[in-house]
Amino acid sequence: MDTASPRTRMSLVGVVVIGCFMALFARLWYLQVMEAPRLQVQAIANRTRVVAVEAPRGRILDVNGKVLVDNRTSLAVTIDRAAFKKLPDQADLVNRLADVLTRYGTPTKVSSLEKRYADVQFNDLYPVPVATDVSEEVQWYLAEHADDFPTVGVERRSTRVYPYGAAAGNVLGYVGRITAEKLKVAEPGIDPDSGAVKSYQSDSTIGLAGVESTYEKDLRGTPGVEMIEVDSKNRPVGTSAYQAPKPGTDIQLHIDIDVQMRAEQSLQDKLLRLRGTNQRDGTLRNATAGSVVVMDPQTGGVVALATYPTYDPREFVNGISQERYDQLTDVDGVSALIDRSISGQYAPGSTFKLVTATAALSNGLITGGTSYNDQGVYTVGNPAQEFTNAGSVRNGTISLPTALTISSDVYFYWLGDRMDGSKLIQDTAAAYGFDKRTGIDLPNESSGYVLTPEEKKALKDKYPDSYSDGTWYTGDNVQLAVGQNVIVVTPLQLARAYAAFANGGTLYTPHVVWRLLRPKNSEVDPGGVISVIEPVVTGTVELPPDVRDPIVAGLSRVTTGLGTGSSAFIGFDQQAFPVVGKTGTAQVEGKADTSLFASYGPGLFPRYAVTAVMEESGFGAEASGEVVRHVYEILAGQTITDAAPASSGSSD
Amino acid sequence: MLPSSVSRHDSNRSRRDPTAPARHIDPLLMLSVAALSIVGIIAVYSATRGPGPTYSSSYLFKQTAFVGIGAGAFVIFSIVDYRKLHDWAWAFYGLTTLMLVLVISPLGSQSKGAQAWFALGPFQLQPAEFAKLSLIGALGFLLSEFRGDIDVRRLFSLLGVAGLPMILILVQPDLGLVLILTAIALAMLLVGGLPTKFIVVLTLVGLIGIFGALNSPVLKEYQINRLTAFANPEDKSNPAVYNIDQSQQAIATGGVTGEGLFNGPQTKLGFVPEQQTDFIFTAVAEQFGFVGAAIVLLLYGLLCYRIWRIAQIAKDSFGSYVCIGVLAMFAFSIFENVGMAMGIMPVTGIPLLLLSAGGSSTVTALAALGLVMSVHARRFQ
Repeated sequence: MDTASPRTRMSLVGVVVIGCFMALFARLWYLQVMEAPRLQVQAIANRTRVVAVEAPRGRILDVNGKVLVDNRTSLAVTIDRAAFKKLPDQADLVNRLADVLTRYGTPTKVSSLEKRYADVQFNDLYPVPVATDVSEEVQWYLAEHADDFPTVGVERRSTRVYPYGAAAGNVLGYVGRITAEKLKVAEPGIDPDSGAVKSYQSDSTIGLAGVESTYEKDLRGTPGVEMIEVDSKNRPVGTSAYQAPKPGTDIQLHIDIDVQMRAEQSLQDKLLRLRGTNQRDGTLRNATAGSVVVMDPQTGGVVALATYPTYDPREFVNGISQERYDQLTDVDGVSALIDRSISGQYAPGSTFKLVTATAALSNGLITGGTSYNDQGVYTVGNPAQEFTNAGSVRNGTISLPTALTISSDVYFYWLGDRMDGSKLIQDTAAAYGFDKRTGIDLPNESSGYVLTPEEKKALKDKYPDSYSDGTWYTGDNVQLAVGQNVIVVTPLQLARAYAAFANGGTLYTPHVVWRLLRPKNSEVDPGGVISVIEPVVTGTVELPPDVRDPIVAGLSRVTTGLGTGSSAFIGFDQQAFPVVGKTGTAQVEGKADTSLFASYGPGLFPRYAVTAVMEESGFGAEASGEVVRHVYEILAGQTITDAAPASSGSSD
Repeated sequence: MLPSSVSRHDSNRSRRDPTAPARHIDPLLMLSVAALSIVGIIAVYSATRGPGPTYSSSYLFKQTAFVGIGAGAFVIFSIVDYRKLHDWAWAFYGLTTLMLVLVISPLGSQSKGAQAWFALGPFQLQPAEFAKLSLIGALGFLLSEFRGDIDVRRLFSLLGVAGLPMILILVQPDLGLVLILTAIALAMLLVGGLPTKFIVVLTLVGLIGIFGALNSPVLKEYQINRLTAFANPEDKSNPAVYNIDQSQQAIATGGVTGEGLFNGPQTKLGFVPEQQTDFIFTAVAEQFGFVGAAIVLLLYGLLCYRIWRIAQIAKDSFGSYVCIGVLAMFAFSIFENVGMAMGIMPVTGIPLLLLSAGGSSTVTALAALGLVMSVHARRFQ
């Protein structure tokens, strides 16, 4: 071999070279033909980012089709965090951006930009919105000076808009960015047509209160999908596929915005007029809070649901500051974020006599004609315990209708005494829907309670420090008969009980939402009805004529003549629209009375049940009665009057 | 064989002279060189124009200029008798050695971690590329002088001549070029008659050297990354694995027929690092598919075959050795470069001659091929 010819060795070199080329061909075939499908998938995944495009939410309409919540396009300033991290002069950029935003109408602190930018909830893949709802001028300025603002962009997004301002804020609720915790547990809705899942992303909007929350699955739109092709530096270079977002389902409420605004306005006016005055016993009326419920007794549809104080959903549109949020939780000592109409719990006072009367009549304790001599005071037990009428008024010998009309407490103390040892009142209260949630389609409803002897004992056993006595005394039953001491109800429960009495005894689940509609620009059947929330019957109260008639006779005269509520209805045409109702004045230890008024109308063919409950406001007629009357004015199409100046009140 | 007394300077007679160099141009060599150079310009442009909408053409113009200069070098080296290189071998060798010394002095400039360049205005000169040619000349000279009779002393002189530029280039450092010089030297020594026992010894020493280098601090971190990436391609934390993955995905994206010129997404979006130089093959493979990439490999195969053939029919042993050196230079570059792009060789910074962007490598490659053409054209003189 040492002397082997150069030709032999050249052949050896040639063989090596041929071997190399064969290896290259084999590998090329393997990569481009055999392994190509697998590697191509990797390559596509590598250069494609799937981005969800948030869809506009469905609109919210009132019963007459007036738009209560709509959408508008707003502009948000974003920072591309992945690219921003590599910038040399980040602080300078943020300073200049804050200046520009402030100059063009969005006062912005550097710290707030930094806080939004640093929010770990945002994915680096998407530009982070650092300032929302900025002016067009900001967009133009940033477009003209794009070179000075690298990584800064402007995005168009859909934002809630409220044509009626703060009206019905407690019903509508508000939306906000989904929190990290909610993102983990949120169950997305399903698109009614395509069946697509309306999945959430880290910057998705979600309903946080009111129907925005309870109908989240319907209101939320179906996100679009954008497949963005990116280059090796993760910069978008084009869209490889796009599926447009689909707006969410519109929902139409039973709420009549005109009635709602009337109720809100009247409630607020009356509370503010009462505030700072004294009730008859000299207690200061703080008149801090109140609520009004208007229901359709035939369906359970909620026509108005007012609460005071309340909030303006517009404040939540671009995210609310913690400072402002804290303010809302303490408006003159009470929270504006609580809807008292569904979660406030109050002793019902004399409005509860409807239940006591029903219990006594149904069980044959009395008939409509059974009379009792009301001497202004009723004594029970040993040692003797005295219960009096308001002002210790003596009403003489009266039967049930009169006892209701003039609100004789003694007559009902007597009934309570006679039903002691039974649970007749509690059972009847349960039939009217007290002591448990109504199931209204709004969040955070309270259940109230109507204590039984067993429950009182159980409470004492469970909370020995808070309850000094677990024994059920006759006095407890006597107080229960007039809606005091061992019972609390929500204004909504009270309204539903009167609605059930009005329609002959059928208990409906209250609903603020009437039906679901397709978006107005839907491809199929625009604006068409997807589904109607049918009335749901949850129970019945047996109301044969010998039970119902004496009560109707008594309640019909409450708003007239000698009735306790008559002063509130002076000038209201009861011939055209008779109002059947009951005043209530619930005593609260150390505070002015809770003023209640529960009612329905018009008398023989009830279309509305209206209830008002006002805290620390005095007698039923003078505060709540007047607010209820104002609401009936608009329901009945009668002359609109203003809230009257506060008086010291006459009777319960 | 015809008498060599025929005058090479009598132009009047050369027209009818059947031994005249002009009558012995290798058309297949010409064809493959021209085709590969044009494919190179297109591939470099496609890999550097960017995703749009405005495109960069600076690489297009530069590479076209380099091919133009290289074509000039090709013509000059074809026309000039290759035996002149025999005469000038040591002057050329000395000059490039001097440049290799100067480039690691403060006169040279750094780029991508290697002190390998002279900055000349907008261009950069890489003297190590020229060292390939000067080594071919110097070894060709010595081997043709030794006439296959190589003892230990001569072996050491050969190793010394080959080792000097290698050591200077290792200082830069440019491992890829050292490997090419090694391939050139090995092939030339083999064909130049190195006794088998020396081949065995050299192989052993080489293996020990590689083993020692891997376990010593001589190699930089990125070099170790590249070697371990080759050994363990599933380790995604290794930055070199990203290169290899992107490269193979781009090649696979081409499929059988390719995505079409300027339509390769991985190329257009810049996913393959160093695509216009070390990974230019991926641009060809993605845009023109298996069909295009195989044609390019066949063109390279044709080129190598022609060089190999010329080595065999060369008139003298110097011409033969020179051709073997050029063959080794091309074959090793192709195998290593295309092999690393496809994941069957470790990543090393070696250009794919004629295709990769770069002035020094393109001009050197074309000059070397001109030299081969000269050997072919003068095989009867």
